[in-house]
Amino acid sequence: MKHKIAGAILLTILSLTTSGQTGQGTLTVKGEVGLPLTITTAGLSEFRHAEANMKDREGNMHKYTGVSVLSILDSAKVTLGKQLRGEHLKKYLLVKCADGYQVLFSLAELDPDFGNKTVILADRVDGKPLPEGKGPFRLIIPDDKALARNSYEVIEMIVSFAKD
Amino acid sequence: MHNLQEPYKLEYPANFGNMIYIPADNPLTVAGVELGRKLFYETALSGNNQLSCASCHKQELAFTDGKQFSTGVDGSSTKRNSMALVNLLWTDNFFWDGRAKGLEQQVKFPLEDQHEMGQSLNILSRKLSEIRSYPGLFRKAFGTATISGELIAKALAQFERTLISSNSPYDQYLAGKYSPDSSQLRGMKLFFINPQPEKGIRGGACGHCHSGVKTTSQLYHNTGLDTIFTDGGRADVTGQTTDKGRFRVATLRNITLTSPYMHDGRFKSLNEVLDHYSDHIDEQPKLSPFLKDLSNQKNTKGLRLTLQEKEDIIQFLQMLTDSTFIKDPRFSNPSLISQ
Repeated sequence: MKHKIAGAILLTILSLTTSGQTGQGTLTVKGEVGLPLTITTAGLSEFRHAEANMKDREGNMHKYTGVSVLSILDSAKVTLGKQLRGEHLKKYLLVKCADGYQVLFSLAELDPDFGNKTVILADRVDGKPLPEGKGPFRLIIPDDKALARNSYEVIEMIVSFAKD
Repeated sequence: MHNLQEPYKLEYPANFGNMIYIPADNPLTVAGVELGRKLFYETALSGNNQLSCASCHKQELAFTDGKQFSTGVDGSSTKRNSMALVNLLWTDNFFWDGRAKGLEQQVKFPLEDQHEMGQSLNILSRKLSEIRSYPGLFRKAFGTATISGELIAKALAQFERTLISSNSPYDQYLAGKYSPDSSQLRGMKLFFINPQPEKGIRGGACGHCHSGVKTTSQLYHNTGLDTIFTDGGRADVTGQTTDKGRFRVATLRNITLTSPYMHDGRFKSLNEVLDHYSDHIDEQPKLSPFLKDLSNQKNTKGLRLTLQEKEDIIQFLQMLTDSTFIKDPRFSNPSLISQ
């Protein structure tokens, strides 16, 4: 897969902080990546826009807007598309949240040539910034039947190999 | 005599899972666990030789101390309530605010805190070196009689990882060997179910955070105790204002033995805890999103559990009391047994 984000645009993405401290205002992308990223809310606009509608627990429909997680992984030079073969099919994406919550996707689950699962990193709901406790970044997976992976306060994405 | 390398065999039910935390440089050995157990009950670990780990973590109280705050070597009180030492094998961040990564790091905090056990690891190492039995025990456990803070921490961590509670009536129920009464069954259902008033489903939503068979998760939440935070909680570690008032989700294993409750021991009974979650949560911006808008009735706030529902949940919580854990001789004071 071609990396659609130009190098110049990547300059708008902050480098990793020296302390390694992750905060709720930023998202770090690391692990088995060609280019580690730290993305701010302002930097999010540089990625491929995405939106999805999803019901909440009460059954009310909401419109979420943000960016495609695939485009973030693409910018971080993760092995996707034609590169996602052989041992790379043992890779997964671990998403960590500020409260300690963690969820996981296989890379193949996300890749358009395989599962093609739509996963959005949203920063707005119904046109407004996500509320405290859920934002600034939230995962939205419109095709998941259960809501449990639609994680709040996302702060880290780590790509790793399954070792067993 | 045990072989130096004889591994300690951990036993736990398959449904506890294998997401366990044992550092590669501190595998559990029979000799290491034995040493850790002796150190756990050793009063030389405190600056005034009066307190051991067991002073604030008593086996009969599921390794808590029954106090709102514990008293340290200088007579001052701790800032937070003593946490239960239960099923730590499945935990890798410790304290109410998660400031310690791994048990080896965790145990050093109370040892060196001037208000808790009050002495440096160097002084402690020297003291233990002068007690006849210890150099030999360290040699057996780690192959060296030279005692250090690192090895003290490793031994204590090894022992604490063996504190597994997995024989409660709830475990027996899951194994098909215990029949809960009707109140316990109702309580179990309420505990694990989220309310859905539009479908007429009532629930307590406890299991959302106190999840799975171990009734805990390594998460930090603001449970609506306060609107003004005298204790920053998780924010004191992360520096993030959004973490203010967030504290660790505690295990509910043996919860009937570990009163008082919450990070500051403000609730004396489980009834008070249930009353809080049912009727007194402060709706505020920093409240956990998992507690916001929880309701058993359309267009009302709060769970508003009935008295019977609260009692049923407490009856279920009593199923988590493991009487074999609190009497297990492997976890007791070895010097008392040998007397």
